Amino acid sequence: MKKLMMILASCLIATSVMASEAELKTVKVGHDVQTLERGVDAVMTNCHSCHSLKYITYRDLVVAGVDAKKVDAWRGDQPLSAPLLSQMSAADAAQAFGIAPPDLSLMAKAREGGANYVYSYLLGYYTGPDGVTGNHYYPPTKMPDILGVSTAPQDQQAKIQDTAHDIVSFLSWASDPHADERIRLGYYVMAYLVVLTTLLYLVKKRVWSKLK
Amino acid sequence: MKSKIINWIDQRFPLTSFVEHDLTGYPTPRNLSYWWNFGFLAGFVLVLQVVTGIFLAMHYKADVSLSFDSIQHIMRDVNYGWLLRYMHAMGASAFFFVIFVHMARTLYYGSYRAPRELLWWTGQGLLLLLMATAFMGYLLPWGQMSFWGATVITNLFRATPFFGDQVVIWLRGDFTVGDATLSRFFSLHYLFPFIIIGAVIVHLVALHTVKSSNPSGIDLAAKDNIPFHPYFTIKDLYGLGLFLMLYSVFVFFIPDSLIEPANNIPANPMMTPNHIVPEWYFLPFYAILRSVPNMVGGVVAMGVSVIIFAFMPYLDRSRIPGGARYRPIYRIQFYLFMADMLVLGFVGYYPPTNQSILIGQIATLCYFGSFILVPFISKVEERWLIKRGLPPEVMALIESEKHEKSNKGDKL
Repeated sequence: MKKLMMILASCLIATSVMASEAELKTVKVGHDVQTLERGVDAVMTNCHSCHSLKYITYRDLVVAGVDAKKVDAWRGDQPLSAPLLSQMSAADAAQAFGIAPPDLSLMAKAREGGANYVYSYLLGYYTGPDGVTGNHYYPPTKMPDILGVSTAPQDQQAKIQDTAHDIVSFLSWASDPHADERIRLGYYVMAYLVVLTTLLYLVKKRVWSKLK
Repeated sequence: MKSKIINWIDQRFPLTSFVEHDLTGYPTPRNLSYWWNFGFLAGFVLVLQVVTGIFLAMHYKADVSLSFDSIQHIMRDVNYGWLLRYMHAMGASAFFFVIFVHMARTLYYGSYRAPRELLWWTGQGLLLLLMATAFMGYLLPWGQMSFWGATVITNLFRATPFFGDQVVIWLRGDFTVGDATLSRFFSLHYLFPFIIIGAVIVHLVALHTVKSSNPSGIDLAAKDNIPFHPYFTIKDLYGLGLFLMLYSVFVFFIPDSLIEPANNIPANPMMTPNHIVPEWYFLPFYAILRSVPNMVGGVVAMGVSVIIFAFMPYLDRSRIPGGARYRPIYRIQFYLFMADMLVLGFVGYYPPTNQSILIGQIATLCYFGSFILVPFISKVEERWLIKRGLPPEVMALIESEKHEKSNKGDKL
């Protein structure tokens, strides 16, 4: 028993060490159409030239409530059903950065920490003493400090954080467009199951009361 | 009219007698606790997995260049495709959860003991089939963890003596996990559930021959059995309601909690993830695999750790009926074993460090040690309990069994 307690105790120590390894900033992702629209705007300005979102089509944006005029401007003469491919070809991007920029459709789900990771990463740029820009959360990154966190003066940092928040909110939506619908349906399912299970419990009690 | 049709069938097929004997009138001990609900729940989850799986297969493409995209197509474009996929993915976890509880109940109450050995062994076969099915299904989304998990596990067959390398190639259909592997895993993932259904029928035939065990561990007199319907149909349905609530929390509110983030990145044979972890239900066995420094030894240890449950009917030599109810030492052993499983699960989840490897090795020793010690502990405990005094009905049962045995000896 004592041995087991020791094992359990050392297990707890081990887990706490793992948890403190990456201290991510936490972000509360926005779900409203305004945030989504600001987010897609920021993505089209800052990310879209290099990164694709191949599982999202222009029609998905319109359906989600983004202003159709804006979507038309972005897509140019592409059809509404076209996916959001990057403006730069993968080969050109690989030549420019040494690595093809990853697709962003699932980015908010594809990293440990999810949306918090992407948010922390976007705001994680700093200028080192040698004048080279680095990133706290993903040191080997090849992406430039696109939001200018490392160079912007103090009074503009809040605005940059807002932009990062909008981008992350949009990417969260993009990674799971049915999430809001799923949660809404979930409440109905749970309510239904609570009523059903209560009734089943009452029937069970009644049936078993016949036994003595 | 109805009775006429039933009569016509009954003359040709034992419909009424089957329904009465095995469904409505099936005699069931009245003292079964809610821990006895999990067999029914396992059957329910099996049906759920088959149904959602059939519909998913209508939209899924088993091709390395298409499968990741086809999952996203299901998640985004197919009507309620996200619901089907999350139900199926969470269903796999639910299946293992239900089966683990079902097995833990068997161990706690000693339901594996004579005459239920075959029931226990067919269950063991079902566990192996379930593990194989889940493992092959996990490759199908063709994410990073799918690919590397399958690579690591198929690689273990290199431990086969003499022709290990050939076995690995034979399993994969290629030198690496590739298109051939994906399409055969899909084919087998669709086939295995039907083998499982067949094995479940065998499991149920065995159950209906020896009947359910019960918390007391003593076979009850006929007067203490009650018909399955309506008493246990309603009890199982109530349990199903509770289960569905827990399941729905996962499906609707936290469906990504059990899916590794790395599996949202398409498989890339050129890039190994930082840390390859199996699904949570394989973690204790994975920890045992990693605890043995030698690869062949690790594979053997992992295999034995799953199979070893089958020996319980022979390892447990106590004559005290049932499981933990009348046996305090066995009860402590049971809880220690559960704690050990949890420790192994944690060790399997985290990347190996010197500390976690040591903990894993101690936990592995405890795991096998608890099985090896069962024969001695059960015998010592039996002697101690008889000396200390047992409830009269338990004593009477042991005496009558002894008597029966000596009678048999006389006849021989």
